Amino acid sequence: MGWPTLPDMYDALLNERQSRLDKLQAGAVLGLMLVGALFVYSATMVNEAAQLAPLLQQSWFRQLLWYAVGAGGALALCLVDYQTLARWSLVAYGITLVLLLAVLIPGVGSVRYGARRWLDLGFFQFQPSEFAKLAVVLALAHFLSRPREELKTAAVYWKAIGLMLLPFALILKEPDLGSAIVLLPTGLVMMYVAGVPRRFLLRLVGGVGIVMTLFLVDVLFAPPHWQIKLEDYQRRRLQVYFGIRSIPPDATPAERQRLLNEYRDYFHNIRQALISVGSGGLTGKGWRQGTQNALGYLPRAVAHNDFIFSVIAEEKGFVGSVTVLTLYAVVLFTGIRIAGQARDRLGRLLAVGVVTLLFSQVFINIGMNIRLMPVTGVPLPLLSYGGSSVVGSLIAMGLMQNVYRYRKGY
Amino acid sequence: MLIFDQLKKNDPPLRALTLGVLIGLGVLLVGLWWVQIVLARGYQASLETQSFRTVRVPAPRGRILDRHGVALAENRPRFNIGLYLEELSPQFRATYQQARPRQVITNALPAWTRWLGFHTVKTQYVKLNRAESDALQWAVRTAVVSNTVAELATRLQQPVPFDPAQFRRHYQSRRALPYPALVDLAPVQVARFQEQDAGLLAADLEIQSLRVYPFQATAAHVLGYLTSDDTSHPGEEASPSYRLPDYRGLVGIEGGYDAQLRGRAGAKSVLVNILGYRESEVVWSANEPGRNAVLTLDVRMQKAAEQALVRSGVNVRGAAVVMDVRNGDILALASVPAPNPNHFVQGFPPGELAKLNHPTLRPQINRATQEHYAPGSIFKVIVGLACLENGLNPRATYRVQPNPANPGRGIIYVGRRSFRDLASPGDYDFRRALLKSSNAYFIAQGLQVAGIENIVKLGQRLHLGERVNLGTRQETAGVFPSLRQVTGGNWRDGDTANLCLGQGPIAVTPLQMAVMTAAIANGGTVFWPRLVARLEARTDEAGPATAEETFPAARVRNTLGVSDRSLRWLHEAMLADTEDPEGTAYKPFREYYRQPHAWRVCGKTGTAQVMDAHNRLTGHTTWFIAYAPYEAPRYAVVVMVEDGGSGGGTCAPIARDIFTALQRLETGGANGLAYTP
Repeated sequence: MGWPTLPDMYDALLNERQSRLDKLQAGAVLGLMLVGALFVYSATMVNEAAQLAPLLQQSWFRQLLWYAVGAGGALALCLVDYQTLARWSLVAYGITLVLLLAVLIPGVGSVRYGARRWLDLGFFQFQPSEFAKLAVVLALAHFLSRPREELKTAAVYWKAIGLMLLPFALILKEPDLGSAIVLLPTGLVMMYVAGVPRRFLLRLVGGVGIVMTLFLVDVLFAPPHWQIKLEDYQRRRLQVYFGIRSIPPDATPAERQRLLNEYRDYFHNIRQALISVGSGGLTGKGWRQGTQNALGYLPRAVAHNDFIFSVIAEEKGFVGSVTVLTLYAVVLFTGIRIAGQARDRLGRLLAVGVVTLLFSQVFINIGMNIRLMPVTGVPLPLLSYGGSSVVGSLIAMGLMQNVYRYRKGY
Repeated sequence: MLIFDQLKKNDPPLRALTLGVLIGLGVLLVGLWWVQIVLARGYQASLETQSFRTVRVPAPRGRILDRHGVALAENRPRFNIGLYLEELSPQFRATYQQARPRQVITNALPAWTRWLGFHTVKTQYVKLNRAESDALQWAVRTAVVSNTVAELATRLQQPVPFDPAQFRRHYQSRRALPYPALVDLAPVQVARFQEQDAGLLAADLEIQSLRVYPFQATAAHVLGYLTSDDTSHPGEEASPSYRLPDYRGLVGIEGGYDAQLRGRAGAKSVLVNILGYRESEVVWSANEPGRNAVLTLDVRMQKAAEQALVRSGVNVRGAAVVMDVRNGDILALASVPAPNPNHFVQGFPPGELAKLNHPTLRPQINRATQEHYAPGSIFKVIVGLACLENGLNPRATYRVQPNPANPGRGIIYVGRRSFRDLASPGDYDFRRALLKSSNAYFIAQGLQVAGIENIVKLGQRLHLGERVNLGTRQETAGVFPSLRQVTGGNWRDGDTANLCLGQGPIAVTPLQMAVMTAAIANGGTVFWPRLVARLEARTDEAGPATAEETFPAARVRNTLGVSDRSLRWLHEAMLADTEDPEGTAYKPFREYYRQPHAWRVCGKTGTAQVMDAHNRLTGHTTWFIAYAPYEAPRYAVVVMVEDGGSGGGTCAPIARDIFTALQRLETGGANGLAYTP
């Protein structure tokens, strides 16, 4: 084949009939939505009371509605070129900050399970942190898409970090450690791909690593009056993850028993999740035949969101787990392909940011289910039940499709 | 290819990102493989441990039948009403939500929030601490169950008691099993419960197996009794989570053959949810029913023997044994007073439990096999046999001296001791001495003709002082001197004289005396007595087939080794005891012999003195041994009464009544001994 001839290039320019949709990724996303609906059904329709509730109150149906809303939102976003969207990134970022602050105000944010993360809009519990992730990705992509030379200056570098840390701190205050944590690798990877000098990044990673280690050592091992202030349950979660039971040596037998019971309670979720995943075996027990969920061993409160993967693993076994992993792999790798084919650095950074965001959530959530990671409240994109999470994930995928739509012509 | 395109591209950051994602997903894959493939079995076992409970289900106990197949101990269904807590669980939750305390809080909200529709007055749940919420949950559960029980009472049209403490114990230890609201329903109540629409109530009938003894206290000692015992036996599931009520036999056939009667318990597994409520259950291993035991007893003869004993006086303490002389089968083994084995299973009526431990009545002792007594004059048959074998001329007379203190009675002096006689002085031959039970005659002949060694050897052939191995855990061997004892330096003539009277170091059980009587009656064969004829084969479908286990009849233990001639003389002398006007048992049998076709009964009376530690007389043990018919002996009957008046006065009439009944049973016809199950 020779060089493209003039008529061919003309044809190509005029004929923008290249595909506007990355069909592979869209297929994988549809697959994930189907899996999500099926297993939210299985996780929630366990007793007659749930089955007798009106359709609008049944979780799987609401999940389908959110899928529709999210898909609609993603479609709407795709109509607009992502360059235009990026111009509004700082506005979106500002609104997000305002919402994050609003959630922290006692009268405005609603408390559930000891955390103040939601804004109660009546029919819908709006969780700003989900949208904050997208806003951070958009804002960072826009900020980092300036000429490479500017990125080598320290001022830009610190501003980028500040851009990331502000929402991070606000989300951490809610408290929502999981969502906050996800922002860090996203920002780091985006900075790396953008071209921030490697030595800055290495110093950053090294510094954070040292701080984290010191933090962990202090929380886990230091005597009480040296310890940093953490919520009790957060400290217990970390101790449970590392398998440490710290009972002060001068505890009375009753106190010792009480502490051991507490640890047992905290370990309960993880233990039941492990039993769910492990007892699935190769092929699982069958859809809606999982006993861990039906009998309530996997707590009902978390079975349909944070631990939905345990339900899938129990009911469909190793085969099901690998299928889910494959679907996510397809989404992530097509996302990277889209990043490679993006027309400009903004698109590239957007795609990379979304991919890292999704990957972090997948890794933390599935890791949590098999005790590779400590328990944090990170939802599994598209599979966990939750309007904000679903809509946010779908909009993120919509952003990737948007970048794909306006990609390089060859 | 999707991934490899990214890796090949000349785009290091994206390549690094691809690698990173690939490694991350790979780590997850390995982790999932580790948990779901490698450790799968361990997690499955954990799941089963936490969500399954095993229940030990006892097997139906084998029945105990008499020789004609009449059930002496059997099982009947016992109906309980159980409340299923898992079905009440939604009510618990709903009631708890209603019962939770609420508080009203007023928010002074700024005007703009009120315009948006937020309210100033809200009710919200009061936050309870752990102890308070636990207490509220208990109160709610108790209330719901109490209401359900009240509803049940309305449907049954009778009061149903409810004990909150008992419910709490059940909830804490046996939540997966139904709570027994009402136990042991009568058939009327069962019918009433079933015809109501019981599906609306979280209750259902539970069936358990209850041991009943239809004949109440008849053959109580032979049958034995049960105690609650639900421990696991070898061959069963070792440690179930729950055990349903089960029993174990303590004495008697229930005790001695408990392993065969109880079968083998099965197990069922119950699936429970996180709160401990039952989800479903499945039978894991079926139970194997126990085997029936068929006894040699005839319940009609047993009842006849017991009635004869009881009718003879007030608070009679005694025993009667009826044995088939041809093969050693025990046809009746009665001991009074007797407890009612139904009480041990169903509960004692007020006052009965105290009677069980009465120091004199001692109803729990099987006086036929478990207690030994001095035989007294009935031992003279053995002394007489020994004398006859050693050359005694039965026709020769012996003169008995009168007692100087009481000239109407005889006396004999042995060394420095004197032995008084109840019989009058005069000339006695063998026949007259036996029928009048002359002490002097037998002491003299025993000392001079037989000698103590021959007497002891004959007693040893009868295996006196040894166990009979009946298998009912209610046995004593009795006491009998050994040859070494009597040939050692310490044995005096006075001791021999005592032994000839059946006193001294000799104590026998009525069963041993029955074996002796049968040996005399059947011509010299000493049989092992047989109580259990066979253990029946299991004929039901489930489980491995087990062959019938038969215990052979007519097992010979020994022979008397005496000549027919001696036995004939003894037979005649014993016949005379009831037929001769001078006989000690003549009076009771006089009316009996007036009946047409009455059997000719050979017997011997006995009265033994019971001494306390200071050698003071505290009472008499009275005996009567007999066999009939004289021409072709079939039945041996031994009657013993503690503290009776005399052998002839107390025990012989009882034996006579027993023979009357036996004869009626043989000839059939209306006999008034109807079965009353």
